Amino acid sequence: SRTPPPSLSAQVPLSFSLSKDMAADVHDKKVDWELQNGSLAPADGSHSERSESPTPGLIEGTEPGAGQDRAMFVHTRSYEDLTAGGEVKGCPQQMESSLEGQSNMEEINKDFNELSTQLTGVAMDVEEEMESGLDERSLSRQRSRQDSVRSEKEEEDVTAESWRSHRKHVFVLSEAGKPIYSRYGAEETLSSTMGVMMALVSFVEAEKNVIKSIHSDDYKVVFMRRSPLVLVGVARTCQSEQDIARELLYIYYQIISLLTFTQLTRIFEQKQNYDLRRLLAGSERITDNLLNLMDQDPSFLMSAVRCLPLATSTREAISSSLQQAKAKNLVFSILLSRNQLVTLVRKKDQFLHHVDLHLLVNLISSSTSFREGEAWTPICLPKFNCNGFFHAHISYLDQVTDLCLLLISTDREDFFNISNCKRRFLERIKKRSTYQALQDSLQNPTYSCTQVGIPDLRHFIYKSRSSGLFTSPEVEAPYITDEERERLLGLYQYLYSRVHNSSRPLNFIYHTGESENLLAWVTSGFELYMCFSPMGSKAGAVAAIGKLMKWIRKEEDRLFILNPPTY
Amino acid sequence: MLLGDSGVGKTCFLVRFKDGAFLSGTFIATVGIDFRNKIVAVDGVKVKLQIWDTAGQERFRSVTHAYYRDAQDIYIYIYLITGYAFCDTDRAWLTEIHEYAQQDVVIMLLGNKADMNNERVIKQEEGEKLAREYGVPFMETSAKTGVNVELAFLAVAKELKHRAGRQPNEPKFRIHDYIESQKKKTSCCGFL
Repeated sequence: SRTPPPSLSAQVPLSFSLSKDMAADVHDKKVDWELQNGSLAPADGSHSERSESPTPGLIEGTEPGAGQDRAMFVHTRSYEDLTAGGEVKGCPQQMESSLEGQSNMEEINKDFNELSTQLTGVAMDVEEEMESGLDERSLSRQRSRQDSVRSEKEEEDVTAESWRSHRKHVFVLSEAGKPIYSRYGAEETLSSTMGVMMALVSFVEAEKNVIKSIHSDDYKVVFMRRSPLVLVGVARTCQSEQDIARELLYIYYQIISLLTFTQLTRIFEQKQNYDLRRLLAGSERITDNLLNLMDQDPSFLMSAVRCLPLATSTREAISSSLQQAKAKNLVFSILLSRNQLVTLVRKKDQFLHHVDLHLLVNLISSSTSFREGEAWTPICLPKFNCNGFFHAHISYLDQVTDLCLLLISTDREDFFNISNCKRRFLERIKKRSTYQALQDSLQNPTYSCTQVGIPDLRHFIYKSRSSGLFTSPEVEAPYITDEERERLLGLYQYLYSRVHNSSRPLNFIYHTGESENLLAWVTSGFELYMCFSPMGSKAGAVAAIGKLMKWIRKEEDRLFILNPPTY
Repeated sequence: MLLGDSGVGKTCFLVRFKDGAFLSGTFIATVGIDFRNKIVAVDGVKVKLQIWDTAGQERFRSVTHAYYRDAQDIYIYIYLITGYAFCDTDRAWLTEIHEYAQQDVVIMLLGNKADMNNERVIKQEEGEKLAREYGVPFMETSAKTGVNVELAFLAVAKELKHRAGRQPNEPKFRIHDYIESQKKKTSCCGFL
């Protein structure tokens, strides 16, 4: 059974539906959830519904931040879409069923003791294989050269209490039980632990069932099977099982982005006990970074992309310069600054999925090797097509403001062509003084919550569901330390898991905590999460919704990308 | 184009040449291939070097291959003197360059981390032997101290300059001889 997180124990959860009657007046206008390709924002014309009402846009496509034309991202309702899996053609369909009843659980407990004795044997075999395998020789050769690579991580004693007390562990293993990745500690020292994990998975599967999670007093173990990989998360955080599963899925996609699904399955078809670390060598940092980023950045939780606040004229000038600098094989041109989206230009009828963009953002932020020169690298965008590689041209336009240009091409041999696109883009924006305007706004890349003018409001996240973009002010006092920031994200995770609980979803929740009051409101058009000082009242918080929504509507040109450009 | 296994110091080698600095601290794997320019003066003529720094990991092999023929015919293969003894991997690399690249290529063999003499595994003579076998110039370098780094690129620049504007009567630039005459010895007797 789940225990509420300690900091939230004083909660007075109040949940009721607001959206029913308010949405009624717009419901007669038919909004088709299942559009032709199941992935696009609503058809043209829906934006004409925009109004000055304090609660505008309850319906998708009319909310503040909704694109005027079409969204730039593949449309997703929430992370249900993520966990459903296999919606991309050719990607594996996921079979999931939950443990049925208590009796099964008891049975497992009973048999576990027997099992664990057998397991020591299994683990020994794995180690033996690792020592004798041919692949491993060159791997160890590679590894010895990189002795300084992850020394801290490698040296960590996996039998120590400090290792056990990490807030969130993530393990990736093959179906043969071979270690592929561990967030903490060297993989090879964890072969027996991972052997046990695989044994658990197999044991439950032998009964034609699937193990999804184990809940204990202070931690959760979440399993995710994505053949040929098994991912396991062990968390002491307040996150829901769904939330941890979503993070595991990101790690899975991260691995796919390096190898493609085709290559990954082919390898294990040919050799079941292949040591995948050989192919993933050098990418540990990228995976580490993704896990750290997910602990800090709400983009992953929101399944949305954070947009850099920017004057429309500047953004449009940049977009049009990117539009001009096109090439035959160019599919996406993306300009980013510190994990925020400046603009994205795409080929007509090609849509990027926010998961793919998050992986790109993570790739860039995980390595300083892109800061100089121009990088050219194969990358699979698993949500777009998990079976093929794109080729990404990555270059920093400015070191101080972290302005980074990403040009995604379909052709491996396109480097000089794409490099030329970059040059043309730079020339154009520099000539039109757009560059200076952009650099100026990057001096203050965020905004303060005080601009909204709601005294008790400390922070908020507003997501426009049809555009897949969200906006959020700078995290200010009292959330100054890293721990406090992570706690704030934890509060949002809590709200999110309550409103998106698959068995009992809510439209509205007001939560009174010890250190803050929280509110979440989810409609088909938007998701709003607000964090108030603990002094405020519920009536005050509800009244603040209208004021905030009005402010966002007023600022939407700056906060969102309303006219997603194409080449 | 800089080639070699992951972690031998290709990027450090390049950064030492380009910025005169040594990238210390933790290893950061290059992703894909990295393209950089540097202009050097050779005998009063400016030569623009376009340098591909490649990722050593196996999964990037295909993208490296795609640019073999585009790299202007100069390949620098780097190994570690502190690494394992020469094995099939090193030969595979050198053979591969010959196979994928055009006929008229220059390949240079460099043994990096020459500053780590007391951890040396591969003797200088072994490097020389391998170089003779493949008919390529060879030297030991150190991205940390900078020994022979400048020389490697300078030799490349000279070769390119001679190719671009060789007069009919002018003798062919002999990169082997040039390197032999200029290189600093880094063998067991210590630095000169």
